[in-house]
Amino acid sequence: MPQDTAHVNINSGGVQKNTYDAIVIGSGISGGWAAKELTEKGLKTLLLERGRDVVHIKDYPTATLNPWDFTHRGRMPLKVTTENPVVARCYAFGEASQHFFVKDTEHPYVQEKPFDWIRGYQVGGKSLLWARQTQRWSRFDFEGPERDAFAVPWPFTYNEIAPWYSHVEKFAGISGNKDGLETLPDGEFLPPWDLNCVEKTIQQRIMQQYKNRYVVQGRCAHLTKPNPIHVEQGRTQCQARSLCERGCPFGGYFSSNASTIPWAQKTGNLTLVPESVVHSIIYDEKLQKATGVRVINAVTKEATEYYAKIIFVNASTINTNLILLNSVSNRFPNGLGNDSGLLGKFIAFHNYRGHVTASFDGPQDKYYYGRRPTQAMMPNFRNVYHQETDFLRGYMVHYSAGRARASADGIGAAFKDAITEAGNWYVSMMMQGETIPKETNHVRLSTTEKDEWGIPQLITSVAYDDNDEKLLKDFLTQGSEMLAAAGCTNIQTHDSKQAPGLDIHEMGGVRMGKDPKTALLNEWNQMHHCKNVFVTDGACMVSTSTQNPSLTYMAITARAANYAVEQLKKNNI
Amino acid sequence: MDRRELLKMVALATGGVMIGGEFLLSGCKNEKSGAVAFKPDDIAFLDEVGETIIPTTSSPGAKAAGIGNFMKVMVTDCYTEPDQKVFMEGIRQLNEFCKKKNGIGFMQATPQQRTALLEKIDAEAKAYQKEKNEKEAKLKEEAAKERNKTIALSPNHYFTMMKQLTLFGYFTSKPGATQALRYVAVPGHYDGCMPYKKGDKAWAT
Repeated sequence: MPQDTAHVNINSGGVQKNTYDAIVIGSGISGGWAAKELTEKGLKTLLLERGRDVVHIKDYPTATLNPWDFTHRGRMPLKVTTENPVVARCYAFGEASQHFFVKDTEHPYVQEKPFDWIRGYQVGGKSLLWARQTQRWSRFDFEGPERDAFAVPWPFTYNEIAPWYSHVEKFAGISGNKDGLETLPDGEFLPPWDLNCVEKTIQQRIMQQYKNRYVVQGRCAHLTKPNPIHVEQGRTQCQARSLCERGCPFGGYFSSNASTIPWAQKTGNLTLVPESVVHSIIYDEKLQKATGVRVINAVTKEATEYYAKIIFVNASTINTNLILLNSVSNRFPNGLGNDSGLLGKFIAFHNYRGHVTASFDGPQDKYYYGRRPTQAMMPNFRNVYHQETDFLRGYMVHYSAGRARASADGIGAAFKDAITEAGNWYVSMMMQGETIPKETNHVRLSTTEKDEWGIPQLITSVAYDDNDEKLLKDFLTQGSEMLAAAGCTNIQTHDSKQAPGLDIHEMGGVRMGKDPKTALLNEWNQMHHCKNVFVTDGACMVSTSTQNPSLTYMAITARAANYAVEQLKKNNI
Repeated sequence: MDRRELLKMVALATGGVMIGGEFLLSGCKNEKSGAVAFKPDDIAFLDEVGETIIPTTSSPGAKAAGIGNFMKVMVTDCYTEPDQKVFMEGIRQLNEFCKKKNGIGFMQATPQQRTALLEKIDAEAKAYQKEKNEKEAKLKEEAAKERNKTIALSPNHYFTMMKQLTLFGYFTSKPGATQALRYVAVPGHYDGCMPYKKGDKAWAT
């Protein structure tokens, strides 16, 4: 049994052979960054990944296939969608990308309330699949919980994290325009993408008619013009193919596979071991710190232990919660570092339910070329400087415009000619709303169900609340009004009613905060009660803001990793 | 244009969203595919139906895109059992209708006879599917208010299926994407404002 250390197989060579300076659990966006920073500082680092290996370029089997190369032209067989309804609801899941997604049937979990948990179990994790929008959070995002008293204060300020944003932006390669907005701080940008002519017209009209509402070009982790640091990583310019979720053979967008992992490997300090399911973190009662991790081989189910001075937990928000909850000892009977009893609680996410679509009488003599990986963005304009609505916080807005395919009735040659032309312009707008972390929105371990590796299954209990409904309603009203003011017609609002989780922005459960009574991690992402364990993925987040989180995970991870190395050198941990 | 825009066009041209596969995600858990047996004659028949919907013009038609075989794959893998039955029965019905009208089967009919026949069926199918979808959208909305309430759906029209699969299959095929439309696998850059004149082809992806 995995829990029984007497049966754990220590590979030949014994403890010493399985000992490293640092262990990083998970090779996705944040784990890749932890591995890069730690190995660059000279730490012998073990990077554990529960899924199979995915080597950049070599393991992207569909990357250069054409639409007609797919049996179902991208659609999925009914058997797959009915057996795997959760993953089938993900916009990026299809015939071209399915090999990078966990199927529902492979890794069951218990939904006490509907939660679409989207997972990517492979080296690189979901960094192969992410939507790649990379805004810095603003001071209003970090100050929100304290100002509105809905969560503990963030333990650092925007100004403290800003240099780390710069650090990760330069390496990852972020395209964007310097807009000089307080609500959307500028970063270290590669040249921006462009809005098309209808998007520009709508941008101008919205900004003329609304004070303090801004429309800017989206910022994303794509190499519009590679710098030497990106060339050194072996990456080249984004080719505007927009087939990103297949893995990019050009390295045009940032992923662990294209960037941080090969970089860490070049230092000679990285050991990457795929197919390693982390069962739990080992806590030594005498030393009063963590000494290593217990791993079950994903294929053989054989148990192994690895040891290190520091451990970074980057297993992805929900799985990081699971590992910590399952790391029980006499000292921590309710999960590692969980004296407060708050581990697994205050899970939050993004509210993506609202969409507004419209027609626009745009120029018939204009079109566009290439497939852009971003859209127009509007930083939150609700409750920014003070509380002004009957709901807390706000939402970011994304929109794009395009030309539909011309439509026609009938069959035959004239019908064929008509439908091969570009049609009228349409506009599509979506929201990304902040949700309020609540103690009731939580995950916990099942006491009855276990997975194939003997690890308790996770129970998800996360739901929308009244604030989310009000915020959604406000977006649908404001979105419709803005599009009307911009000259759109045929404006229609939609509520997808999608379950939490499908946003793939789940955050929290192991939140940061200065007070150990109300938070699990300190301002350096160290566990308050187990100082050599760091959590720097989405699980550490105090609040969700209205902005995409991945860039912030990268910055927080780099900051924590550098702190950990300093502390290690000073023998403080 | 991306796949979503193609699917929107298909929906507009046929009076309803694409049947099969990813669109039953909102529930209907017990829907599954059954066994269907397409004979070589059926494939040849469907090739001609597709070619009548999307004929060879200055660019290849649906037959050159292997549309009959594509329909077989999609009906077999992506359709529910009731839809599969409607589709297979539709092949027979279409042929019977042709015999009644022209005294000969669809395969023996002239291109003009085929076109006239399918124009009539197309108009009927579109009106039928549109009415069905509007009616059922209302029923679904009401059912959503009550827990565990299920609604009985009327069958899809076979010609809606054939036309949808022809349009979707043709425009994602090599001849459809590269000759009837414009396809650039590796654009290299993005230009937000390029000139367009009436008659220029839309992007395939």
